[in-house]
Amino acid sequence: MKKIWVSIVNVALMVSMIVFVVLYSTFETKATTERQAEHFVNATITMEQVTENYLEGEQRICDVWTHYINSQNMTMEEAVSFIRISHVLPDASAHIVYDDGNFTGLSTKPKQGTADDFAVSYKNIGILDNADWISEIGESINISRAYTNPINGEQSIAFCNYVTLQESGAKKQAILLRVLPVAELKTKWVFPKEEYESADLSIIDSKGDYIIKGQAFKNSNFFEFYKSYNAIDSLAGQELFKKISTTTGSLTMLNSRGEECIIAFTPFNATGEWTLVSMMPMKDLIVTTQNWLLIGVISAALFVLFIFDLIVLRNFNRQLKAAAKEAELASRAKTDFLSAMSHDIRTPMNAIIGLTLIAEKNIDDQKLVSENLRKINLASNHLLTLINDILDISKVESGKLNVSPQTFSIVETVENLMNLSQPMIKEKNIDFSFHISRMDKEYLYADQLRLNQIYINILSNAIKYTEANGSVTVDMKEEESEKEGYVKLTYRVADTGIGMSKEYMQTMYQPFSRQTDSRVNKIQGTGLGLAITKQMVDLMEGTIECESEPGKGTTFTVTLDLPVSDHQRLDMKFDKMDVLIVDDDEVLLETATDTLESLGLVTDQASSGLEALGMIKHCEQTGKNYDIVIIDLKMPDIDGIETIRRIRSEVKSSVPILLISAYSWSDVEQEAKEAGVNGFLSKPLFRSTLYDRISEILGTETKSGEPENDYSDLEGMNILVAEDNDINWEIISTLLSMYGITTERAENGRVCLEKIKSATQGQYSLIFMDIQMPEMNGLDATKAIRALDDPWASSIPIVAMTADAFSENVTECLKAGMNGHLAKPIDIKLVIKVIRKIREESKQ
Amino acid sequence: MKKVTCAILGVVSMALLVSCNKGNEKVDEIFKPSLDLETKCQIRVVGDYSNFEALENEFDRFNQYYPNVDLSYEKVDDYTNNLATVLEGNNKPNIFFSYAAWTAGDAKYSTIIPHMEDLSDVSLKMNLKCIRSGLINHDENNKVLMVPVFSRTYGTLVNNNLFKKEGINIPTTWNELLEACASLTEKGYKSPMMGYSLKDSSCLMNTIAYPSFVATLAPNPEALKKANDLDPSAGEYMRDALNKVKQLVDNKAINIEECDKITDNYTKVILRFYEGDVPMMICAGDTVSGTKKREKESEAFINNPFEYSYLPIPLNDKGGYFIDSPSIQFSVNKYCENLDMTNEFMRFLIRTEELNNMATLKRLVTPTNELSFDPVYASFGKIPADRTFSPEALGIKDPLVKQLRIASYKVGRGDLTVDEAVAQYGSL
Repeated sequence: MKKIWVSIVNVALMVSMIVFVVLYSTFETKATTERQAEHFVNATITMEQVTENYLEGEQRICDVWTHYINSQNMTMEEAVSFIRISHVLPDASAHIVYDDGNFTGLSTKPKQGTADDFAVSYKNIGILDNADWISEIGESINISRAYTNPINGEQSIAFCNYVTLQESGAKKQAILLRVLPVAELKTKWVFPKEEYESADLSIIDSKGDYIIKGQAFKNSNFFEFYKSYNAIDSLAGQELFKKISTTTGSLTMLNSRGEECIIAFTPFNATGEWTLVSMMPMKDLIVTTQNWLLIGVISAALFVLFIFDLIVLRNFNRQLKAAAKEAELASRAKTDFLSAMSHDIRTPMNAIIGLTLIAEKNIDDQKLVSENLRKINLASNHLLTLINDILDISKVESGKLNVSPQTFSIVETVENLMNLSQPMIKEKNIDFSFHISRMDKEYLYADQLRLNQIYINILSNAIKYTEANGSVTVDMKEEESEKEGYVKLTYRVADTGIGMSKEYMQTMYQPFSRQTDSRVNKIQGTGLGLAITKQMVDLMEGTIECESEPGKGTTFTVTLDLPVSDHQRLDMKFDKMDVLIVDDDEVLLETATDTLESLGLVTDQASSGLEALGMIKHCEQTGKNYDIVIIDLKMPDIDGIETIRRIRSEVKSSVPILLISAYSWSDVEQEAKEAGVNGFLSKPLFRSTLYDRISEILGTETKSGEPENDYSDLEGMNILVAEDNDINWEIISTLLSMYGITTERAENGRVCLEKIKSATQGQYSLIFMDIQMPEMNGLDATKAIRALDDPWASSIPIVAMTADAFSENVTECLKAGMNGHLAKPIDIKLVIKVIRKIREESKQ
Repeated sequence: MKKVTCAILGVVSMALLVSCNKGNEKVDEIFKPSLDLETKCQIRVVGDYSNFEALENEFDRFNQYYPNVDLSYEKVDDYTNNLATVLEGNNKPNIFFSYAAWTAGDAKYSTIIPHMEDLSDVSLKMNLKCIRSGLINHDENNKVLMVPVFSRTYGTLVNNNLFKKEGINIPTTWNELLEACASLTEKGYKSPMMGYSLKDSSCLMNTIAYPSFVATLAPNPEALKKANDLDPSAGEYMRDALNKVKQLVDNKAINIEECDKITDNYTKVILRFYEGDVPMMICAGDTVSGTKKREKESEAFINNPFEYSYLPIPLNDKGGYFIDSPSIQFSVNKYCENLDMTNEFMRFLIRTEELNNMATLKRLVTPTNELSFDPVYASFGKIPADRTFSPEALGIKDPLVKQLRIASYKVGRGDLTVDEAVAQYGSL
């Protein structure tokens, strides 16, 4: 629904509620008004009855007087005297006038301002000119309209009767008027209830002329009064006035002030043609039930609610839009990713399948098969990296990425790093150097797997995006951390590669992002590496910084505070010996000298092979011999092998010589041995590495430092492999057999447990345990084995060999009692390394 | 150049002075209550009007300032006879209707005059200047005992649509009047000029004759004195006025038989005019006051409404006369209760705004200087001063008026010739 419609519906509901409240309130007010009007009419009827009773009472007095005067044949003077005697009301008076057209006679009270002038005349008063309204005695109330009392000038009304008087012996008709002042009447003639305090009363005749006129009534005629302030046509007026004159009811009209008034009317029963009319402003009548404050508060509350809803709705919509956009972007990114993945997965898969097919078809061509297998291996490794990245990023996305710390050797980590990067460095002929400084703490306590990933990702990126013959420099240093028990490990990788634009650097840590660059597109990558790296650095509470310039290169610096393990090698110290170290790399010379001296050695430096040769010659001549010579492989002028060759041939020195290099040995190993090298050392030169290698050379002298191609130590080992998958079983058993290791299979954990239970001591050197297996999984099986009573069986080394490759899986395995973890697909070199390590540990 | 500049500056200065002066007048007209606004009291006005809705409207307006003052109007029956008694009674009125003739020395009113407050007393701050000076009556002591709230004049209601329909211009001179009446007679109108003719009081003959008679006497104080003294020789001064009446009757401009069908001098006159076939209805301004309300009462007028106006009767070559007389006047009973509030009400009422409002509602001629505000009477405001007369200011007395009224009535009806009427002046 569009926002405008939501607003319209809201406003409509709001208005509807307000209208409802107003209408309901108005209805209530109207109903109340009607009830009030009904009460007002009833009050008027009551007033009419009270008035009628009063008027009848006054008329009866007049009737009594008349009866008595008529019965006594009185003269006018006698009649007036009689009334004077019987009269008790101080403000009332009586007049008797002859009904002869002149309407002269006598008053019971003297004229105003005189003491003895009782003469009265109604000739010009007008009320007696037509005396049809005076009925026979007792028939009705004969009351005049309000008029000016000619005796005292007061507005008065008169109750009348015809009387018969004696005049000169003859009877003469006269009119008796019992006169009451209107002012006096008005003081008594009011609505008794306080609620009708502002009501006013009038009595009108059938023509609308006031008999008695209330203050609020205007004009001399009520109907004229009505017409003066209320629009009404002649016919409607006549009907209305007839209704007022003959029925009981109420109506509303405007008064002279323009106020709406209620008029209640009811006819007098006794007089026949008179009507009592009461009037009161509606504002005094209406008890309003319209609570405008309530309506206002409701309106304001609704409005505030509406605005609040609108704001919330808008905010919600904005969030929804943002979420939708994000989802859309994510969806698009994932679509792009899947598309890329599809491409990236299919590419190595195509290579694997295609090369496998070619190998099958040319199975007799050993060279071709060998080359194809090598290429298949490369494609497989790439595929494995891709899958690992995908799995990692899925962890990142689901927020399940966590660390599993364990004690590890930073030396091993760096060695692993070197091993992994060597093939690419060699392939691209990259000038590679790896410097370390002040690496005192070899063993740290952290998630080695994650740390490896961080370091490998950054280094592999540097190598990947550095063009052939470029350079990559790695610096690793250990510093004091602000946290106690920690070291600050800084890992800095600088390359002279393609660099990154500033725009891309802003989004480079987002998943699935890759720089738009034709050169980048040629390089295999998932766009996940940096995202994973950043997440992992954050997870380890470290920092990652990047400096880059397109075309000039990139420098990543990762700084991590890592806990130092309690386990450290403290006994690395030699007796005083002279060491010559030869390298054109001044930094290495400095750091290596520093490390060697920390081992108790006296160090001389030579920056080239020739200089080293000269120094050794000089020593021979002076009788001073170096105890060990350490020579870098790659140097200008003459390289390390040539230098060794000359030392052996020209100086005839048998001094132990170690060849150091940042590159793979495989290409030069044989040549170096022929030249007379005693051992090999990989850069960077860790303290422990130096110590171990030097110790080894000094102890054995001629033993080769490289055992890679000598697997005789593994022969005769028997390994129990718990593996439910036939192919995996076949692979591991075949690979291990290539190293002279025999294997037995257990199809699941239970079988494995049973085999161990029934095994004789020493029957198995160790167990490779798959985790996910039917009947009993690897973890349960391990726990069961560790719980066995047989000490040999319960302590047999168990190494996980599983596709559950996350660090938490590793932790689970170790917690279950395993001794190590190998992830599938297996790296046979790593497997062998682990076997050797376990074998060494078991010897101890 | 300097002269021109000086002239312009002079004109501007004069204009500013005039506007300032007018501004002051307007300031004087603004009512500022001087008493406690919460004052609670009663004020009673008595008079001989049956209805006085215009005054009742003023009560409402006054209540906007003093909401607790209870004002009422009351008709006193047999007003002139009973007023003295009323004034002496228990419930003394605060304000009462009064008439200029009362100050002429008639003993009948001798007990009334002492009740009248001097409204020219500066301490009362009455704005008497808003009333046309000719309408203010000063007694021998130069006191103003009554102030007019309406004025009365004499003229004719004219059916504008009828004249337009017949293609005849509304006459503005005596000759045009005769010609127009002749034309209308020819077109079948039995009596182009009508009015009440059954009694001499308010009869159309007097309405025609009186302005001419006043115009004759106005420039001749000696003649006026004779006429007031009812000297028979003053009858000659009526001749011109009576001749005009006779000429109109003789010329069949007035058909007395038709006029006699109008049975009263007020409502019937108006309703007859609303029949739509009367070109000119001769009547006093008091009758015009009833026209507005009766428009709704006349079926003929409701069915065929027409435009009408009230104009001076063109009695000479220049046009008509504006006889500017007070209609009713108000006097304050200085012995009443709440005299302060009574004077406050009078101070409120005697202002152009309120008097004009009352005149509008009552449809009578306003006594204020702003005569032109009411279109019905606007034409009287255009009559020049030399044809405007105030009988009261001139000193015309009631006996004189009565002589002319009877003379004109009888001449008009043919009961007397002009010569006979002239000869009988003083004894009519």
